[in-house]
Amino acid sequence: MKTNLFFLILSLFSLVGLAQEQKMSTSEINGFKATVEKETKSIKTLKTDFIQYKHMDFLSKDIETSGKMAFKAPNILNWQYTKPYQYSIIFKNNKIYINDQGNKSTVDAKSKMFEKINKLIVGSVSGNMFDDKEFSISYFKTKEFYIAKLAPKTTTVKKYIKEVDLYFPINDATVSQVKLIEPSGDFTKIVFKNKQINVKIDESAFTN
Amino acid sequence: MLKLTNRLLLISLIVVFFFSCKSYEISNAVKKENTVREFKNPYFSNPETDYVYKAHIEVYGNDVGGIFVAKRINDSIHRVVFTTEFGNKLLDFEVSEKDFKVNYILDELNRKMIVNTLRDDFRLLLKVNHQVSETSESKDFEIHKSNHKKRFNYFFVDKNNSQLVRLVNASKSKEKVVFEFESKNSIFAEIIKINHQNIKLKIVLNQINN
Repeated sequence: MKTNLFFLILSLFSLVGLAQEQKMSTSEINGFKATVEKETKSIKTLKTDFIQYKHMDFLSKDIETSGKMAFKAPNILNWQYTKPYQYSIIFKNNKIYINDQGNKSTVDAKSKMFEKINKLIVGSVSGNMFDDKEFSISYFKTKEFYIAKLAPKTTTVKKYIKEVDLYFPINDATVSQVKLIEPSGDFTKIVFKNKQINVKIDESAFTN
Repeated sequence: MLKLTNRLLLISLIVVFFFSCKSYEISNAVKKENTVREFKNPYFSNPETDYVYKAHIEVYGNDVGGIFVAKRINDSIHRVVFTTEFGNKLLDFEVSEKDFKVNYILDELNRKMIVNTLRDDFRLLLKVNHQVSETSESKDFEIHKSNHKKRFNYFFVDKNNSQLVRLVNASKSKEKVVFEFESKNSIFAEIIKINHQNIKLKIVLNQINN
């Protein structure tokens, strides 16, 4: 009986071990980065649906919102929530256009901050986030994913974000999941679904 | 002639004076024998529920949107978080009748006036049990009055369905903040409107089915 229990515990531990993240080797990292960068450069347009989970420790359930995203290189982006409410934000021509359930507003976005936000969103989706100046990056792999963990270097960004985790499925060079972790440990997880790369996107997709 | 003008002026001054000092009263309401000692606001009372709303804030002509979350974490404390649509936190408070703790606030929002106004609004919105000092009645409502420091809170309960529909925070003489509630089931308010009468601040909360 005792032996059985011992083996049970041992097998449980080895299961945990399998699901665990392993550090990637230098050659793996170089290969992975090259693939992602090559793929990112070939992206002219990108369309995807997404589900966003906002996790806060004190809540019994994550807050779930969902919608769709359209991107056109180099920097036009429409991020649109359709459930449970309508809200869209478009980054275009150095301006931000917001349509909040019919309330429209425009913000000039010639600032450094805008550039950073745009870069962060576009980078998160495409995976082109390997900017060593902004982040210190570590690389991991599991059975299913390569994971790039980005820790911000500047104190201004550190106040809002502790870490950004990008999940790349083993056989896909674009991101399928992003996790933004706050200094408190609460996080926002965004899962992309039905991704289409380099399909024609109508101009009207970037008007709200 | 001059005397008459002076007298008229004096009378009008007195009228204006008395009118402006008129204490805050609810029209067409008659005082009732005080049978209710305590009023329970049900809308944020269940510790099992995550109260999640889409929020619109109009402040001095600026529109701000986001997600408003509240949860009763024990008998006296509520946690209140306001985030953007993307999920990043703008503020995170713990509010009870006596205590107030800021877990997080965005630097740009960290102004005493903003923090104190929101603290007081949330405190009143979330507090569950209120001591009743006086109850009155109009055609449509039963109105419970509760004293709080130098202010008074009036809870308007619809006689038809016993639902809390309006909460007025007033000084001796005028309304300061008006809360309006729309509820289908009496335990959860689908729409909440918070209107400040002395500053240009309006908050509208719409329930998100989570």
